[in-house]
Amino acid sequence: MTATDDTAAWPRETAAAAPGTKGPRAGRSALAVQVVLWATVLVFCLVPLFLVLVISFGHKIEGAGWEWALTLENYQRFFVGANWPAESTSLYLGQLYWSMRYAVVAALLAVVTALPFTYLMTRQSRRAQAVWLVFLLATLSLSEVFIVMGWDIILSNNSGLPMLFAATGLTDWLKDTGWFDVLRDWGLANPRNVKFKPSEVATVLTLSYLVWPYAVILLYPALSRLDPSLAEAARTMGARPWTVARTVILPSVRLPLIGTTLLLFVFLLGAYVAITVFADPSQHTTAVSVYEHVRGSTLNAPFGAAQSVILLVTATAFLVLGQWLTRKSPRAA
Amino acid sequence: MCALALKDIRKAYGDARAVDDVSIDFPQGELTALLGPSGCGKTTLLRMIAGLEVPTAGTITLGGRDITRLPAHSRKFGMVFQSFALFPHLSVRENVGYALTIAGTPRAEVMARADKLLDLVQLQGFADRRIGQLSGGQRQRVAIARALAQEPEVFLLDEPMSALDAKLREEMQVELRLLQQRLGITTIVVTHDQREAMTMADRIVVMSKGKVEQSGSPQQIYQWPATGFVAGFIGRANFMEGLAENGKIRVGDVLLTLPKPANFLNGAPVQLACRPEAIRLGTSEAANTVKGTITFVRDLGPVRDFHLDTPLGKLVAEQGADQGRNLKLGDTVPLSLPPEALRIYPRGIAESPMGMAAE
Repeated sequence: MTATDDTAAWPRETAAAAPGTKGPRAGRSALAVQVVLWATVLVFCLVPLFLVLVISFGHKIEGAGWEWALTLENYQRFFVGANWPAESTSLYLGQLYWSMRYAVVAALLAVVTALPFTYLMTRQSRRAQAVWLVFLLATLSLSEVFIVMGWDIILSNNSGLPMLFAATGLTDWLKDTGWFDVLRDWGLANPRNVKFKPSEVATVLTLSYLVWPYAVILLYPALSRLDPSLAEAARTMGARPWTVARTVILPSVRLPLIGTTLLLFVFLLGAYVAITVFADPSQHTTAVSVYEHVRGSTLNAPFGAAQSVILLVTATAFLVLGQWLTRKSPRAA
Repeated sequence: MCALALKDIRKAYGDARAVDDVSIDFPQGELTALLGPSGCGKTTLLRMIAGLEVPTAGTITLGGRDITRLPAHSRKFGMVFQSFALFPHLSVRENVGYALTIAGTPRAEVMARADKLLDLVQLQGFADRRIGQLSGGQRQRVAIARALAQEPEVFLLDEPMSALDAKLREEMQVELRLLQQRLGITTIVVTHDQREAMTMADRIVVMSKGKVEQSGSPQQIYQWPATGFVAGFIGRANFMEGLAENGKIRVGDVLLTLPKPANFLNGAPVQLACRPEAIRLGTSEAANTVKGTITFVRDLGPVRDFHLDTPLGKLVAEQGADQGRNLKLGDTVPLSLPPEALRIYPRGIAESPMGMAAE
């Protein structure tokens, strides 16, 4: 069973329940519930989405606001630039690339580190597990701004880790051993000291940190259902701990792993605060660009809307890909 | 020759001792059943033999070599788990070949060996199935074949029949025993089912509260239970409480004779046990005869149980279907407890009387 299978079962169950209800009065009230549900979805979810879609075809008036239109100029600008075919730019495609790159790397990092943690957690006593879960759920209540601020201080050049590196002599040691040059190549040092801002490493770390509790909570059900005797059976057949992990545990939680990674990926596509604080402006993402066009200096809502739609389509494409991957698995049947 | 030997094995969880100074020798090629009620420490003992738990104290030796601290993956012990623990992401053949695959055996060789083992457990034609497509009995066969794939020195089975229905269970007991005898492999089966132990085992080790109560052949254990607990746990027994009196035993107003004078001080409290099938109904000339009133008749087909109120207390007598045809509810009949069928245990040291222990 996977998370996607569970959710897929929902509509079927509700649909099956409807014919079972007897009498015209019960039928009417069931219908009323349906109408209310659909109206809620329509007003709060589909209407805003539809508005964004419509605005993405709008026209920006230079020096003023925008007007309703049916033009593809915003999409053209995204893919090849506003002055195409005279000249073309891949600036916005580049931003989409960075969106996906950050999201993929951070999601994978979170899942890869959360998996062993969660596995060990499920081997603890019930009580210890409950304490951990409550703690992790509590950390979810921290806002992105709060978390980014904390990391900002830890990584800042004048008061955070770089200062600690210099004060403890670690910087000098790195210079002596030659690792300092390696860090410079990776963009993690200036000529004098290590620096983490701006850097891709800091961005990915913070994004990973943001979604890490989600990763644990999403992996927890599958891992806690895993029969411990499976690993024990493998051990009695000569499997060392790493072999057990590779041949028994990982394949058993393959589907939840794919599902979790996809969910975190989609969630991270929309990350904003961490990117603006930690990423180099040349490596900013589509989400940042959307915000700048809608609320920032240019006030170009139609282009912002077009970028939003493209981001949404990208996310959907990955979810469909995930569905396809899990369908392909014989265990999903 | 001793294949596997446990010496003073103990497993403590805090103050509680799951296994308390157990010493057992497992002879080469024999099937030993660890038998006891749930929570008696038999599974913990098996897990320590498998290397899945480390004993708090004591040593485990295999052919003279100390393997107490050897991790599970370094022991060549095949184990069948209660849940079978088959890998759902692998096919039947891949499950059976798992031990060989991770050991780096060439694929063709793994396949050939897996197919041979599947033949052995009569699962030809199931090699490409997935585990989810198998019945309980088939899963058990796969689990057995998988555990045998690495040609284990010791074969361990933890409650292997508990996931099967009653009919299949009896068939599999016979089949597993025949397979074990054919392979001549030292085998340890953990079970709480005395019929299972009696069917399969060369030797039964009865455990209770982390300790060994008795070990011996099934017949020895049945005929000469060493303690009241064993008498109640293996088969059924009528228990009576009495006091020693000049080599005989007084139960209420009745003085029961024994084949040879009991070695107890006068007035020592003792517990008597007598198998239901040993009680003779309707004969008044034998020793230890009392009169009893039939309060209930339980007709089981091949045998009938008579529940009786007697001066010795409530007793159950088992009779063959052709015996005591004329006896009916409310009849008062003479019954005798043959001296050689009486087992006597000190009271206060032995387990508290269990009354009619369930089968």
